[in-house]
Amino acid sequence: VSYSPALFHIVVGSLYKPRANILYYSLMTFDHPSFVLHTAMGKKLIGCPVCIEHKKYSRNALLFNLGFVCDAQTNTCALEPIVKKLSGYLTTLELESGFISNEESKQKLLPIMSTLLEELNATGACTLPIDESNTIHLKLIQLRKDPPIVQEYDVPVFTQCKDHFIKSQWDLTTQQILPYIDGFRHIQKISAEADVELNLVRIAVQNLLYYGVVTLVSIFQYSNVYCTTPKVQNLIDDKSIQEECLSYVTKHGQKRASLRDVFQLYCGLSPGTTVRDLCSRYSQQLQRVDERRLIQFGLMKSLIRRLQKYPVKVIRDERSRPPRLYTGCHSYDEICCKTGISYQELDERLENDPNIVVCWK
Amino acid sequence: MYKTGDKTSPISVILVSSGSRGNKLLFRYPFQRVAECPSSLTAKQRSPYALNTAGEGLEDQDGDSRFSDIILATILATKSDMCGKKFELKIDNVRFVGHPTLLQHPPIIQANADPSVISCMHNLSRRIAIALQHEERRCQYLTREAKLMLAVQEEITTVTESEAHADGNPQSPFRQILPKCKLARDLKEAYDSLCTTGVVRLHINNWLEVSFCLPHKIHRIGGNYIPPEALECSLKAIRPYHALLLLESEKALLSQLPLDCSPAMVRLIKTCSAVKNLQQLAQDADLALLQIFQIAAHLVYWGKAIIIYPLCENNVYMLSPHANICLYSPLAEQFAQQFPGHDLPSMLAKFSLPVSLAEFRNPLEAPAQEAQLIQMVVWMLQRRLLIQLHTYVCLLVPPSEDEPGLRDEDLPLAARVGGRSLSTPSALSFGSPTSSDDMTLTSPSMDNSSAELLPGGDSPLNKRMTETLLASLSEHERQVILNIPAAQNPEDLRMFARLLHYFRGHHHLEEIMYNENMRRSQLKTLFDKFRSVLVVTNHEDPIISIFQSPME
Repeated sequence: VSYSPALFHIVVGSLYKPRANILYYSLMTFDHPSFVLHTAMGKKLIGCPVCIEHKKYSRNALLFNLGFVCDAQTNTCALEPIVKKLSGYLTTLELESGFISNEESKQKLLPIMSTLLEELNATGACTLPIDESNTIHLKLIQLRKDPPIVQEYDVPVFTQCKDHFIKSQWDLTTQQILPYIDGFRHIQKISAEADVELNLVRIAVQNLLYYGVVTLVSIFQYSNVYCTTPKVQNLIDDKSIQEECLSYVTKHGQKRASLRDVFQLYCGLSPGTTVRDLCSRYSQQLQRVDERRLIQFGLMKSLIRRLQKYPVKVIRDERSRPPRLYTGCHSYDEICCKTGISYQELDERLENDPNIVVCWK
Repeated sequence: MYKTGDKTSPISVILVSSGSRGNKLLFRYPFQRVAECPSSLTAKQRSPYALNTAGEGLEDQDGDSRFSDIILATILATKSDMCGKKFELKIDNVRFVGHPTLLQHPPIIQANADPSVISCMHNLSRRIAIALQHEERRCQYLTREAKLMLAVQEEITTVTESEAHADGNPQSPFRQILPKCKLARDLKEAYDSLCTTGVVRLHINNWLEVSFCLPHKIHRIGGNYIPPEALECSLKAIRPYHALLLLESEKALLSQLPLDCSPAMVRLIKTCSAVKNLQQLAQDADLALLQIFQIAAHLVYWGKAIIIYPLCENNVYMLSPHANICLYSPLAEQFAQQFPGHDLPSMLAKFSLPVSLAEFRNPLEAPAQEAQLIQMVVWMLQRRLLIQLHTYVCLLVPPSEDEPGLRDEDLPLAARVGGRSLSTPSALSFGSPTSSDDMTLTSPSMDNSSAELLPGGDSPLNKRMTETLLASLSEHERQVILNIPAAQNPEDLRMFARLLHYFRGHHHLEEIMYNENMRRSQLKTLFDKFRSVLVVTNHEDPIISIFQSPME
């Protein structure tokens, strides 16, 4: 990725020949438009033209445009706000002290541009001292995908070691709930124990999700059922995941678990098998392995997935009330969380109802 | 509207010409910007995570309404040196994609979207441009249409100058162009189709057909689309033992085909069946396997078929994690109509645990019941409600306890195997629809494994073969394997050694059966005999699971 800033309105001019000014004037009807133009030479031009009208300028207006030239394949979304910011700064400088129209100060643009190029390419951030009173700070900010909605029965777990987390960088709510994020407490529980309103907890966790600090897994219970995904083979193929896994799941103070044991355990998870079943069948393999962390890691890396139970009331006659929760849209996790009853209770209730079928997926 | 739907729909279609008399906006559709802004755009601005530049309020108009006709004409007019190449210009949140051709170019505006969507749009642009170019050369079609459009525009402007409209709203000249101009109607249709089904079918000048599909709209599961690159990847990995499952009835499909479509396509559709693999299909339809692959890929790309493993009683199916099992879903209704007396949730509940079709068989039931079961399974597969599970095997020898220095799990098996190419038959390009190898219709076999191992005990040749195959393992692994009781039987050991390269967890049982011409029972027995060094698991086939689940 390399950006090379260039005052290129000359280049644009040659593409549009006599219409160069018209292009600028047309773009001037917008508020600081930025544009990205793909040229035929396999490059992209990103710029933000500025037009300042004043009698003192020849032709009564000053047109300028500081932009970047990049390879056509480069993802340039992060550059657009920078280009706009730069044009704003330059406009202010021009209006305050004629920075650009003045022949002398104009020379400063060259070292400014090379600093821009170097620093943005190196660190993604740039500090440009213009003169004694003006400094420009720029930073490339990557846009991320919108995070999914966080439910009350979701469990946040740190993707990196929690110790690396610098608390002071975050807002007060996040700081307050931090001690309760242990990869086992779900949102509702965190809210209750940290004494923070449920929605605030949800938003705080969503924020952490956005920055990739945490990821979500499901509630752990020994009655849970999981199964392997095709990605489970990554444990064998990918050395780094192997290393990470074995250190993550080994019980404290024990010799490192063997790959074979861990892989057997993951493969032992299948539909119809609860974690409890796994523990009794593979007790030898579990000597050095913490089963809760095993499940946690497996979910975080998508080596395994959870099978949830969904009750569906199959309507037999027209007179009975339509089901509210037993529609196949709500899992046991959700129903238990919302109603406060336990899995066992729910099981007992539903087992006796001949109109209810249960789907696992 | 789907979350991603808006990012795959164009905002509008524009036709601009640039020539000696200047630039002209010939036509644009929709005429005025209606207030239904793409929700994804405004959502982006409202999301707390997006950068909000000062001054962008919620009342901001998005899309192309800020661009007047004159501006568009200026911006999109290009010089001749840009013709014949992709044109892309992004201004703030709006992206223009087009394909300038000599004299004219039809660009389409698009909001912030995936690069693959942009290149698809450009593709459509280019196709329309090529068709227009052809018709222009043949009968000056474009010049005629352009003249018409300009004439209507002038007429309207002179009318509005001389009269004032009662409601003060200027009449859009483009609205008047529509009934008079076939090209305008075609462009409108392209826009409408892109926004809805994603399938465009035009007849430029009632003569040249331009057809195009936006895979992002067609291949959607659970609100996400399958990226075309992933689709293409999967299509390249299809094997002769896979099958093609049509997503619509034979009759419906045939009626959609253009009149001049290839007879091979028709034959394939007529001969295709969920129980037939592609190799059999080739035989029955009397077509080359390569052709079958190409037509199948084509049908899949257009969302008319998916790839499955052919139906048979040993197939094990389970509910797909993305299946919609809601009681009130439209699927439940359709199912009840299709199969009276049965309800979908009850049927789906039966697949909560992996179940093979054989288990449904009830000797007391009439054969008609069994046939109906097959129909229901096919129905569910077509709607991506079920996934098929396969058995995968991995060689993992118990580590030696008394030699801490020995790390057998150090290198993945492939690396240790050395120079011999042990990748799957795809290296021999069997599965690739783009390969031009002469594919035989018999079961393919690996280079120097099965065919050359002679039956009959302990011949020195066989012994040496087995030794060579096992040489790829570490000393410890070899020892452990040779100490297994079953290894004392030379036949078993030989079979084990010969199949060794499949035990990396990437080849399922059915693939081994097909490649090595073995029975399921043979393989299962072997796995059982060597279970102390093998780990077995069941999951879906990642190659074709793309058709059941969206990309992560």
